Amino acid sequence: MNKKSSKKSSSNENYSHLELFNLGKIFFKEKKFIDFRSKGNRSGFEAIKDINLKIEKNTFVSIIGPSGCGKSTLLNLIAGLQAPTSGKIVIDGQAIKGPGPDRGVIFQNYALMPWLTTIQNIEFALNTVFPAKTKADVKERARKYLRMVGLEKASNKFPKELSGGMKQRVAIARALSINPNMLLMDEPFGALDALTRSYLQDELLSIWRRNKVTVVLITHSIEEALLLSDKIVLMSSGPSAIISEEISVDLERPRDREKIEQDPKYLKIKMRLEKHLLRETRAVEEVT
Amino acid sequence: MNKAISTRLAFAVAILSLLIFIILWQVIAQQGLLVKNFPGSFKTIGSLIWWVSDPFFDNGPNDLGIGTNLLISLRRVLIGYSLAVLVAVPLGVLMGMSKLAQSSLNPYVQLLKPVSPLAWLPVGLFVFRNSEITGIFVIFITSIWPTLINTAFGVASINPDYLRVSKSLGASKSTTIRRVILPAIMPNILAGMRISMGTAWLVIVAAEMLLGTGIGYFIWNEWNNLSLENIFVAIIIIGFTGFILDQFFGFLQDKFDYSI
Ligand SMILES: Nc1ncnc2c1ncn2[C@@H]1O[C@H](COP(=O)(O)OP(=O)(O)OP(=O)(O)O)[C@@H](O)[C@H]1O
Ligand SMILES: [Mg+2]
Repeated sequence: MNKKSSKKSSSNENYSHLELFNLGKIFFKEKKFIDFRSKGNRSGFEAIKDINLKIEKNTFVSIIGPSGCGKSTLLNLIAGLQAPTSGKIVIDGQAIKGPGPDRGVIFQNYALMPWLTTIQNIEFALNTVFPAKTKADVKERARKYLRMVGLEKASNKFPKELSGGMKQRVAIARALSINPNMLLMDEPFGALDALTRSYLQDELLSIWRRNKVTVVLITHSIEEALLLSDKIVLMSSGPSAIISEEISVDLERPRDREKIEQDPKYLKIKMRLEKHLLRETRAVEEVT
Repeated sequence: MNKAISTRLAFAVAILSLLIFIILWQVIAQQGLLVKNFPGSFKTIGSLIWWVSDPFFDNGPNDLGIGTNLLISLRRVLIGYSLAVLVAVPLGVLMGMSKLAQSSLNPYVQLLKPVSPLAWLPVGLFVFRNSEITGIFVIFITSIWPTLINTAFGVASINPDYLRVSKSLGASKSTTIRRVILPAIMPNILAGMRISMGTAWLVIVAAEMLLGTGIGYFIWNEWNNLSLENIFVAIIIIGFTGFILDQFFGFLQDKFDYSI
């Protein structure tokens, strides 16, 4: 079982919060359900390879790359949901062996359980991670996090009664409720309209400031990455995607949506990112 | 469009078509257009009223009230069916979760599923030497496949996001099964249970013709009495009961429909 790693930061750390060493993932074909004929084919698909990355505590890091390059794969590896084919993942100096509640995950399409109400979805996470907590405790804590994302009133609604933005807020509340050191988010705002997106981006920033978490955010949006991150990691097009560049975003915080676009530093990084994405996306289009 | 009027209209059309059917049936039978002595609708309705007005008498195994026979059949079905569900759901979950269980059990499932459950009747009689248990056994075999297959399919095709959430929280296998997999596949289980119940209700009638007592035996007995109108009474009652059972599962399925 995964023990929650202690949150205190020791003074003599000589390692980063999260370190990836030569990480690689190859997908092998699996046999399908009720299928006698298909022979397991051992030649695999190499999604990512030789990924080396260091992420410091309480920083906000975005990962950008062309579609299908292996961003979700990388996030799943960090979350411990899949085992890497090669390399290792080290958190606070300890190699991870699997998933753990020290990492809160927010999935690409909310992943709320449709048979549970909003508050029950959060209670499920709390009950799983803190089995010793009393019912009242769990309920109180679930309420607190619903309040944090402004959804107290929707606590007894089912996911199908919520809008996309509301569902994503529940997912964020669920991930935060277990008090993780790290928040792993897979294109959390991709499916939302522009207004809801900027609202939730602000929300996320204020949550990040208040809660002292390390955020790893996967996104398609250059603007989003620039607005939110301390560091942007660029991935090359797959297969065998690698990290092609790391850019630190030394823009002052808080960043104002409108003003930032006039900042020459912002524009310079933006141009660089656009060039990279265009080049890598073109590479994808030419392969397929 | 006024909904009240349209439902009333639909109801009126249904009544009208029923009346036309009853009259046509009566005319065809009376004129001997089909075969001689074919019972007309009036005679059948008369019998139906007679049987239904005193459904629970018991004058020995060959002379039971139709309600008594119906309850006998229902009891066999419910016992055999419940046992089947108790076996099929855990086994289906196991098959859906484990490749090993899947590949070792699937050949038997595929081989046995297409066999008419009635083929098991002599086996049951030989082993149990008891017609009551044999009936339950046949229903058990009948009911197991649709629930088993639907459950296994439900588990295998479960939205991987739910499992990922559970895994990312570090949930144990038993928590994942109880709190995630079972609720997630409720719609599949219920769909399987509905098919199982439908098939069980079909099979019990045939099985009972060979077993003595029960609504199926009632039909067989009335055939020996050459009383076709009583057979029609049984058909009406079997159909009505099957309809109610099916509606019950339809109601449950609506309750557990998670889709938007
Ligand atoms: N379980 C799997 N089995 C086989 N191949 C997989 C599997 N998961 C992902 N892949 C492949 O690995 C590559 C990377 O997939 P991944 O989902 O990580 O991409 P992504 O960068 O998140 O894409 P998107 O931007 O569309 O979300 C893709 O080519 C995909 O087809
Ligand atoms: Mg993805």
